[in-house]
Amino acid sequence: MTSMKKILLGLLILFPAFTIAAGQTVPDPMMSKCLSSTGQASKYLKDYRIQLGQGTSQNDFRYRAKMSLWKNTKYRFTLCTADNSKGKLILTIWDETNKIVLSSVDNDTGTVYSYIDFICNKSGIYQVGFDFTEGQSGSGVSIVSMIQ
Amino acid sequence: MTGRVFITVLCVVLLLPECRNSSKKSENLVLADADSMVSVITAGSDADEEILRNFSSPLETANLFQVMGVPFSQAYLATSLNANVLSGSFNQALSLGILGADLGYLNIYGKTSTSLELVSSIKKLAEGLRVGQFFDFETIKRLSLNNSNLDSLLYLSIDSYNKIDKYLREDNRGYLSSLMIAGAWIEAQYFATQVIKQYPNTLLRDRIGEQKFFLDGLIKSVEPYCKMNDQFSELCSDLAGIAEEYRDIRISYTEGGAPVKTVKDGGLEITQTETSRVEMTDEQLAKIIEITGIVRNKLIAND
Repeated sequence: MTSMKKILLGLLILFPAFTIAAGQTVPDPMMSKCLSSTGQASKYLKDYRIQLGQGTSQNDFRYRAKMSLWKNTKYRFTLCTADNSKGKLILTIWDETNKIVLSSVDNDTGTVYSYIDFICNKSGIYQVGFDFTEGQSGSGVSIVSMIQ
Repeated sequence: MTGRVFITVLCVVLLLPECRNSSKKSENLVLADADSMVSVITAGSDADEEILRNFSSPLETANLFQVMGVPFSQAYLATSLNANVLSGSFNQALSLGILGADLGYLNIYGKTSTSLELVSSIKKLAEGLRVGQFFDFETIKRLSLNNSNLDSLLYLSIDSYNKIDKYLREDNRGYLSSLMIAGAWIEAQYFATQVIKQYPNTLLRDRIGEQKFFLDGLIKSVEPYCKMNDQFSELCSDLAGIAEEYRDIRISYTEGGAPVKTVKDGGLEITQTETSRVEMTDEQLAKIIEITGIVRNKLIAND
């Protein structure tokens, strides 16, 4: 009985330390993991958290948002997919005229890139679109950072 | 009995952090089934708001200074702002934005340990507006002292401001949120206009000219509150004054060929071939520098 009390007391004392350690610097584990994969020279700007169910269309990007990009800036879009996802997180960016300026999927080879560096030479409002490969379900994080 | 208590405590200890993270995650994630996500496509005023509510914008300006090789200067910061004497939500919200831009500038230059005093001021202002709970001061302080994880520090700082912004809007205090954005923009604009006086540079000149995009949106965001009180009225008038100096600045675009693609280290690098160009005379720039300085210095006067 006494030893059990000691164990309980010990756990209660350890509790705050444990939660701090488990909480890490950035409380969201997926965000924390993705931040660590953006590269040494990158500087965080923005993130998008995506969770999508199974889709019906393979070509329609189901999550879209607008963002401003400035010329003479090198942006890095890092794409992190959660382990339990069926598809891989993919990205396409359109300009104001609805022209595709970048895609993280090479349609010729089928390669899905985990990050894209975009050297922006035209300031303006762009539309970013996210989905998972083949419209599958999944969750993930995309971090936008500057690398120069 | 004791065994059951032990198991219960163990479960709480092991599961609580995960539960906390899960609830946080569900706040931010977009959950959707197949077709419902199409509705997420943002358009019109909501989309414009989304662009405007971007607290990372001052970071991009500060980063440009670094690209230009401009050394850090304490002189650009709003050091005269004293959070202890600022009263009223108008001044507090505006100053929260101004100091947010200052924090971004310090962080980009790696002056994280010197930002601690600033973080304390931000804490005081946030508490004054009853939004202190969204700023993770302890972790930000810890990271600032360690000076080791810039990305996490930038993330936590921007995330805190985004949460404050969201909460204020949901709490029917959107006017305070607009003030924060106005404060951050004016401060970043002040940095840019001060730096270009000392370090004339085409990149920075263009960035100042391109603020025309942002200023239009900012004025729309503040406009609904212009008649709220004398302070708002004056701010609206000040922003209109800056916009007037931007009126004849033109931004043009040049078509390019196919973007240049390079594969490296598992990633893809794309260089955009289209370009934008700012047409701004020296006289126009001089007027923008002058009016920005007047407006910003009035805002930090503490009176």
